[in-house]
Amino acid sequence: MNPEDSKVEVVRTGGCHDCGGRCPYKLHVREGRVVRMEPDGELRACVRGYAMRQRIYSSDWLTRPLKRIGRRGEGKFAEITWDEALDTAAHELKRVKESWGNGAILHVALGGGVGGIHCFAATQRLFNQFGGAVRMWGGPSAEAYVFASRATYGTLETGNAREDLENARMVILWGSNPVETIFGTNTSYQLIKAREAGARFICVDPRLTDSGAVFADQWVPIRPGTDVAMMLAMAFVMIRDDLHDARFVERCAVGFDQFESYVMGVEDGVPKTPEWAAARTGVAAPVIEKLAREYAVTKPAALITGFAPGRTERGEQFHRAAAILATLTGNVGRSGTATGGFDRVAGMPMHQPAYLPWGKNPLEAGASRMEGSLDIGRRNRHRVHWAKLWDCILEGVSGGYPSDIKLAYVVGANPLNQVQNVNKGIEALRKLESIIVHEQFMTPTAKFADLVLPVNSHWARDDILRPWYVGSYYICANKAIESLPETKSDFDIAVELASRLGIQDFSDKDAEGWRRHIVETEPDMRDHVRDYGEFRKEGLHRVRTEQPTISLKQQVDDPEKNPFRTPSGKIEIYALRIAELDDPKVPAIPKYADPEEGPSSALARNYPLQLITYHSRTRAHSVFGNVSWLKDLEPQALWLSAEDARARGIADGKSVSVFNDRGRIIVPAKVTERILPGVVALGEGAWYTPDEDGVDKGGCPNVLTNDQYSPGGAFVSNSCLVQVEKA
Amino acid sequence: MQMGFFFDQTRCSGCEACRLACRQWHGEAEDAVDLLTVTEWESGRFPDVSVKWTVVPCLHCAEPLCAAACPAGVIAKSPGDGIVTVDTEMCLGNGVCGAPCRDACPYGAPRFRNGPDAKMQKCELCLQRLSAGKKPICVDACPMRALDAGPLPELEAKRGTVRAVEGFRYAPEARPSVVFKAK
Repeated sequence: MNPEDSKVEVVRTGGCHDCGGRCPYKLHVREGRVVRMEPDGELRACVRGYAMRQRIYSSDWLTRPLKRIGRRGEGKFAEITWDEALDTAAHELKRVKESWGNGAILHVALGGGVGGIHCFAATQRLFNQFGGAVRMWGGPSAEAYVFASRATYGTLETGNAREDLENARMVILWGSNPVETIFGTNTSYQLIKAREAGARFICVDPRLTDSGAVFADQWVPIRPGTDVAMMLAMAFVMIRDDLHDARFVERCAVGFDQFESYVMGVEDGVPKTPEWAAARTGVAAPVIEKLAREYAVTKPAALITGFAPGRTERGEQFHRAAAILATLTGNVGRSGTATGGFDRVAGMPMHQPAYLPWGKNPLEAGASRMEGSLDIGRRNRHRVHWAKLWDCILEGVSGGYPSDIKLAYVVGANPLNQVQNVNKGIEALRKLESIIVHEQFMTPTAKFADLVLPVNSHWARDDILRPWYVGSYYICANKAIESLPETKSDFDIAVELASRLGIQDFSDKDAEGWRRHIVETEPDMRDHVRDYGEFRKEGLHRVRTEQPTISLKQQVDDPEKNPFRTPSGKIEIYALRIAELDDPKVPAIPKYADPEEGPSSALARNYPLQLITYHSRTRAHSVFGNVSWLKDLEPQALWLSAEDARARGIADGKSVSVFNDRGRIIVPAKVTERILPGVVALGEGAWYTPDEDGVDKGGCPNVLTNDQYSPGGAFVSNSCLVQVEKA
Repeated sequence: MQMGFFFDQTRCSGCEACRLACRQWHGEAEDAVDLLTVTEWESGRFPDVSVKWTVVPCLHCAEPLCAAACPAGVIAKSPGDGIVTVDTEMCLGNGVCGAPCRDACPYGAPRFRNGPDAKMQKCELCLQRLSAGKKPICVDACPMRALDAGPLPELEAKRGTVRAVEGFRYAPEARPSVVFKAK
């Protein structure tokens, strides 16, 4: 292509950290340097992918192990050798283990890496062989969704292949913004094809997102945390007017009677009418009424729920209510539908990550199975919920946590930035005896480390990637460039630490050996990828089916013969597993409660605006937060309605102070007509950058968010009140 | 046959994948420039708001005003495919001539990196990709498949002959080689 292209070698790899998509792409490498990136013909990347080169060749990349010499968080470090760094890390781990036991080590590990070998899986394996470390639980993304899908459908695999969207006659995107979050590579393309095939699109969202702008025939702005009220009112209209699919419900579901009793007001004397919902949601009753009728009679219809409305105080109620609306309308197990369940595609396990096997955590020996359980109390006996990371460190056993934490070992994570309540986080990090961080950049979390171990880029590694949500393909990530001198992968670091910790047989394979092992032993991959050499060469293996997969079809066709994996074998409108929990905050049928931190709470007198924290197209969580190509594309700013801006005398682009009792941020305002008055929005992932008074100038919304979790385990990031003033 | 560009405004989500794909494809430097422009057009008042985008690379006009304006005569329209190219090495640099090409172009296609005496760069429809049988990188990058490039008569036959769209004015004096699907 270019004259010098004879010198260019094309290497196939992919991935952009913990993004909603998982895109394969080709790197053009000349003389050891990536000069260009070219997309895959069909599975197309977004701006994150095209900016990756700038990230990887950033002069800020950490290239030496660092030892803290200043106060924690001050950012003063001295460069040390790898020998000193690894010896220090091993010494600290052994010291803490001998003094306090393995329970004093907290493995703060998340999916910020790329791939399944060079990531936290390696350190999880290391700690499990070292006698254990306390693990975190509760996906910051979608714990409420997982909870609700398991309770209602008995599975996370409730979704149809994206290619089936073209068959929908109506699509409701409820808190879902795939243009920016991607949510399965090519999802937006499939949605625009659905629109062109005639589907009508409704977007329910406090913001008119870019997805709303391109897809929506109708935008329904709604107050955060009140979605359940609107959904119940939609159910009310359907039941009142006999528009629901009674035959489907009778055949495939249990618990309709209890639900009907609550919705119609028999149970509590409050009929959940559109007028009742309008007062809570800010959505006019006729809009709710019309949408309910339209959704009930337009078949098939796909109700696609995002994760954000579930990141609220009662987030699981949102996902439960959505699944029940899909059930009432018979939009389950059929082409052109979406179920309101977690909507992974059945029988396609390749969209779950493939990891280096890490074995069992000795600290959890004897614990009953935690994955798949709805019983949060059981998990909390052994693990720490992400939202309680700071409280766990600050309070330990006396606060009801599994142990007193002395050492935090952070891999693939930037918790100070990405866990709620940054200012409490600072207090917690200052309390620890020891903090060790694997990182590529000096992130807000790394600044608090005692020891920073510099990690190489995924372009310098062989690894394996799978899409995590919808697929269906595998990416064989091939090494394209050499690591920067003095950087290592998480796996390499674990190998070197293992020998220092006296672990003899940590790994009998190198990374390439593990990649081959995973491909040849994972049941799904073994069946699909027959030729490993070919897979490496192509870098991508797509699994194509004759027809798009329809999840839950067999269950719906014949629920007696093919029961749902719920206690009743049916879709559970009344969820028996939830009833067993016997917690009034998680009722067995979905119910609405006004948010405790919401527009009707006493706190709203001082903090009258609801803050939501959306995912920006320019970041994958906090990754890319330091990449200027992306920062310039969409500078961090607070979305503020024109009405709220007028009331405060705030002009577009001017600095505003956003604050509550938890902290204060100063950022520019984006004054816009695209947000519901009373709501402000700030993209998550921007890097916390405090001034000398502790005011964040970087615009990290977790300075303001509440470090609680919902009864089902969701982060409550979107249940947050603030005030905004001119800065 | 004159090459042209197609933009489907109903499909564009403003994601700007085209823009960064272009930037990284054509430049290795940190300050590499985009050779196309993505613009957001917002109208209306809450809650009746409309947002649209335009994507405009060089449109390889029938009468390239940039070429007419260039004092060094380094901008040329290829007689075969009508692609407007620049001989960047022979460009005088904007410090010398003041970049009349940029002022003449209705669409801002001539680009200059920051700094003194930058040489002009412009979209040449990814000539090398075209000669390899590929589409321009912006077209291949678009997740929504909202862009296309090819011989203008073929684009017109396939996509219609709409010449203007909200946010874009057709300049009759230049006759840009473009068709649209309007939102």
